[in-house]
Amino acid sequence: MNGGNGHPGCQEILERVYLFIDNELAGADSAQIQGHLEECAPCLHAVDMERLVKSLVARSCSERAPVELRQRVVFELRQVQFDLYPRRFDID
Amino acid sequence: MAATLAEPPTRPNRVLSWSGSGPGTTGGGVRPVPLSVMTQVPETEETVEERTARFERDALVFIDQLYSAAMRMTRNPHDAEDLVQETYAKAFSAFHQFKAGTNLKAWLYRILTNAFINSYRKKQRQPIQDSREQVEDWQLARAETHTSSGLKSAEMEALERLPDSDVKDALQSIPEDFRLAVYLADVEGFAYKEIAEIMGTPVGTVMSRLHRGRNQLRVLLGDYARGRGLVRGQADAHEEVAP
Repeated sequence: MNGGNGHPGCQEILERVYLFIDNELAGADSAQIQGHLEECAPCLHAVDMERLVKSLVARSCSERAPVELRQRVVFELRQVQFDLYPRRFDID
Repeated sequence: MAATLAEPPTRPNRVLSWSGSGPGTTGGGVRPVPLSVMTQVPETEETVEERTARFERDALVFIDQLYSAAMRMTRNPHDAEDLVQETYAKAFSAFHQFKAGTNLKAWLYRILTNAFINSYRKKQRQPIQDSREQVEDWQLARAETHTSSGLKSAEMEALERLPDSDVKDALQSIPEDFRLAVYLADVEGFAYKEIAEIMGTPVGTVMSRLHRGRNQLRVLLGDYARGRGLVRGQADAHEEVAP
């Protein structure tokens, strides 16, 4: 499969799009892709689309824990701290 | 907040319901999978109170994030709360093994993931399969190729206008392992190596899950956008619209 517009590197770009947008590529590899994107609008769109999906997930999936949950967790920690950790004085 | 837990620092043997099992077996059966890089604990010179305060200070700040992840895993608030509570209990019981200065957030996520797999996944083994979940490879192939930039732009604008609830629904619709990998990468920004440690899989598996999960997600989001009429006139450019 090629990119359909004659650019030789398109398939490689598409294969590495996630590595690229997730910053998992070494600087040189990343720069190479960046260079390709500056010349290839279809690949740029493909990358932008993936970035968009990534940002949509980030935007939509953050929640706040209920206050009661936080309180329960704190309460439980204080309950169990003596069960779990013998005091240093005791060890000696 | 930490100040309120100050117990009088002396008085040994007060309310200790220490079962005599010794420090090496804390937590009665609670054994989070060791994180090779992250454990290795030198005995610290801190008191119980200091350790509790340190845990509250350093670990509790992640409660919103852990809850968000738990929501994506369990798909309902009640189970998500239980899972987060269980995670903190386990993390606290193992906190003496945690090496300060290493990645506490990833460590907590690892415990969360293990707790989910061990406690919840079994209950939820028969996921309700939405028809949209069945995204076939031929559908993905379409997305792998270039399309005209005009179409892409219109679709991207449509996706941007999708409500958060659609994005959550779409994420819920993809298989669990894909979903978690996508969540950890996109919401939490973990590196692949960290996701691999959290999920207990090789990095290659993480990459494969991200690849497939995101492909499915993108197709689903496009379907949602078309279903909402956000991509008017564009759908028939490459797809039959059901009459």
